[in-house]
Amino acid sequence: MKADMFAHINPSPQPAATGGLLTGKSFVVQPNMSVRGWPTEAGSLALKGFTAIEDATAIARLKEAGAVLVGSTRMSEFGLGLHGDTAGLALSQGLADAALMTDTMGEPRITAARAGAYGFKPTGGVVSRFGLIGLIPSMESFAVVARSPDDIAAVMSSIAGSDHRDFSMCDGPAPAFTAASGSDDGITTIGIVRECVKGLADEEAGVFMTGVARLRERGCDVREVSLPDFDLFRTVHHVIGSVEASSSCGKYDGVRYGHRAASAKNWNEMYLKTRAECFGLMLKTYLFQGAYFQFQNYAAFEKASRIRAGLANAAGAVFAAVDALAFPTRRRGLPGTDRGVTGIYDACALTLAANVLGLPALHIPGFVLEGTADYGLQLVGARFSDTRLLSGAARLSREQGA
Amino acid sequence: MEYEAIIGLEIHLELNCATKMFCDCPNRPGDEPNRNTCPICLWLPGALPRFSEEALEKAALTALGLNCSIQERSAFDQKVYYYPDLPKGFQLSQAHLPIARNGHLDIIGEDGHLKRLRIHKIHMEEDVARLVHETEGRTPISLVDFNRAGVPLVEIVTEPDMRSPHDAMEFIRALRIQVRYIGTSECSMEAGTMRADANISLRPKGTDQLNTKVEVKNMNSIRHLGDAIAYEISRQTASLKAGEAMVLHTRLWDPDKCVTVPMRGKFEGPCVPDPSVPPIVVTDAWISRMQSRLPEMPGCKAERFAREFGLSREVALMMSAERDVADYFEEVVRYTVPPRTAAHWLATQLLPALRERGQSCADTPVAPQRFAGLLAMLEKNEINANAAKEVLRYLFENERTPAEIVERHGFRQFSDTGRIEAIVDEVLAVNQEAVNDYRNGVEKAMGFLIGRAMQACGGKGNPKIIKEMLAGKLRG
Repeated sequence: MKADMFAHINPSPQPAATGGLLTGKSFVVQPNMSVRGWPTEAGSLALKGFTAIEDATAIARLKEAGAVLVGSTRMSEFGLGLHGDTAGLALSQGLADAALMTDTMGEPRITAARAGAYGFKPTGGVVSRFGLIGLIPSMESFAVVARSPDDIAAVMSSIAGSDHRDFSMCDGPAPAFTAASGSDDGITTIGIVRECVKGLADEEAGVFMTGVARLRERGCDVREVSLPDFDLFRTVHHVIGSVEASSSCGKYDGVRYGHRAASAKNWNEMYLKTRAECFGLMLKTYLFQGAYFQFQNYAAFEKASRIRAGLANAAGAVFAAVDALAFPTRRRGLPGTDRGVTGIYDACALTLAANVLGLPALHIPGFVLEGTADYGLQLVGARFSDTRLLSGAARLSREQGA
Repeated sequence: MEYEAIIGLEIHLELNCATKMFCDCPNRPGDEPNRNTCPICLWLPGALPRFSEEALEKAALTALGLNCSIQERSAFDQKVYYYPDLPKGFQLSQAHLPIARNGHLDIIGEDGHLKRLRIHKIHMEEDVARLVHETEGRTPISLVDFNRAGVPLVEIVTEPDMRSPHDAMEFIRALRIQVRYIGTSECSMEAGTMRADANISLRPKGTDQLNTKVEVKNMNSIRHLGDAIAYEISRQTASLKAGEAMVLHTRLWDPDKCVTVPMRGKFEGPCVPDPSVPPIVVTDAWISRMQSRLPEMPGCKAERFAREFGLSREVALMMSAERDVADYFEEVVRYTVPPRTAAHWLATQLLPALRERGQSCADTPVAPQRFAGLLAMLEKNEINANAAKEVLRYLFENERTPAEIVERHGFRQFSDTGRIEAIVDEVLAVNQEAVNDYRNGVEKAMGFLIGRAMQACGGKGNPKIIKEMLAGKLRG
């Protein structure tokens, strides 16, 4: 059902440019990405009726490369949740060749796992966030779901690179996203994080190890490595993420756009009523948690920031020994994702580490299988190892298919 | 018990940058409301802040000029609060890592001695929107003007080193002189480009405790700042003597009633690092480059004026206190006018005339070259002092050179001794009484005779020759 899947359908899907890297490729995007003239509600009443006044940098670059924008698919409120898998449906139903998604804690990779596609989150700061109506600026990123590493590389080479409108981007040039297949990747040593595997249920670990066995069959040197504080990725994401979300949502007061509560005695009451009516329960819970750390327990936020720096150091040491880390992409046997914020964190426990540290991460389909269900093999690399990850995935998939 | 006041100031300066702090909108808050706005300063969804290099440079120049040390690493935080003047629910400010720390300014204390007042820190922040409350009309409404939202500010936080309204007012004066020199802010409390809040607490004299302070806002002149502090000291003294507990809060100065009134409990919102403005890291080389862009500051300039031009300390200070006056003075001297003459005429004649006309040294039609021309004629005895004052008046009125004005109006002084002798003889002859007085020791009779002689020559005789000749003849 197209109407259930799309937030907006482009009435005249024409390529904006010919002869580009993406000419002829069709895309779905999400309604938190500014596309000039499109309704851009980010899944929230807070942006009801809001129309983007200019293109996000990533969108403008997609258009310049000749991509056809089919429409925007429905998503969770500001990307908090897993309802953005409508983008994956658009791919599996053949409505688009690729999806541009928001990776806040791993949703595009999980969506890719469900859709049998590749899902890629680049190094933080490689793609401009200008025009992205985000939630957690220091962790979120544009991400690509597509059918091959080459397709992903083509999208990335179109949208990555410095933008004078986003000062938070990394210094220096973006990784060279040339064709993924055929180039020498240097992904030979792959680490398995002991503490991660230990935290999996027995059945999950069993399924994951079948994928690891496949990696070994393809000639990878798979080693066990240790990240003693692996469990803290989730805590750090939750504390810092909720605080940033609380600030990011501060602008939604119903004054200049979006839904506004019917009547109120004064501006303060209008803000309160408007925000109470706009935000869904899940986001509201999350914002309360963030406000708690902002107003009542800033020390915990500071501690989380210190732990984040410590995790970055620990990961750096691990990447000195291995070319990439392998994780399952999605959880097995979890009772759905409707269990509020905790449920979302449960579901994304294996993907969010890459968001916390701004690492590139790639879901490769067809490795961690249980029957027809793909739980996903996720390769996470050091910062700026984006192209190596994509080339490695191209090689591994080729050998897999052979 | 005798109390002493402990006063610290928090001063906001609007930097005179071309653009706002995080977008390219013009920094002109006074324009037609909401004209200077864009998606960034309105904080529309998807917009990202772009930090202005000019704001960083001007903040650093200001800090260096106030003897602060620039911090290698500084960063912006989000000061979270919800109010209609904030389009995004937080204000970008440097709460945790300010651009500069540890500065000072020297003032002359009430005891006449030099007093050093320390600056705790200087941080950058964006200004918020201006609220206009329309109370007339059927329904009172509040309007928001976003022209000011995002205008670059620095906030200067002093140590609590001030003890009196005098100290606080002198600090603001010294700050204004210094910053106007640096050229980074207009520093006008009246126009709102400088806003000063005072934190005031009292303690028993001789102790070193720090008691609960009260913050006072809304003073829009230096005099009001002094008055508000004086009022607050007496209010708090009375309150302490009555045994009341001091509560941390903010008060507003009411300039009409000359009292402070409670405004709200002091609210300290949380400050969390902003993830979209990257941390600012500066190198030593950059800091030296900024340092080299600072002009010669008034302290050094006064010293140099005294040394190079032989001015007294007092006159040197006067000539260096304002940058445009100092520049004017130096240019006049460059036209080979003796520095002391230039300083004397500038201070006693030109500056009062400028004040009267609402002009400044920078914009007056009496350009340094014309003023120097006038003083040169005076030096060469081509005109006398009285005539010079007249010529100055004409210099304001038209564009003629001083020489043209002198010729046109016949101000030229004559030193022809024959002509002067005739006039002197005449004056002595008709003022026999004064002559007798003088010879009987009444000194001031000489002044009277000189006056008469000047009058007789239409104010154009060389007064020096007249005086010498009179003295000679009276002696003889």
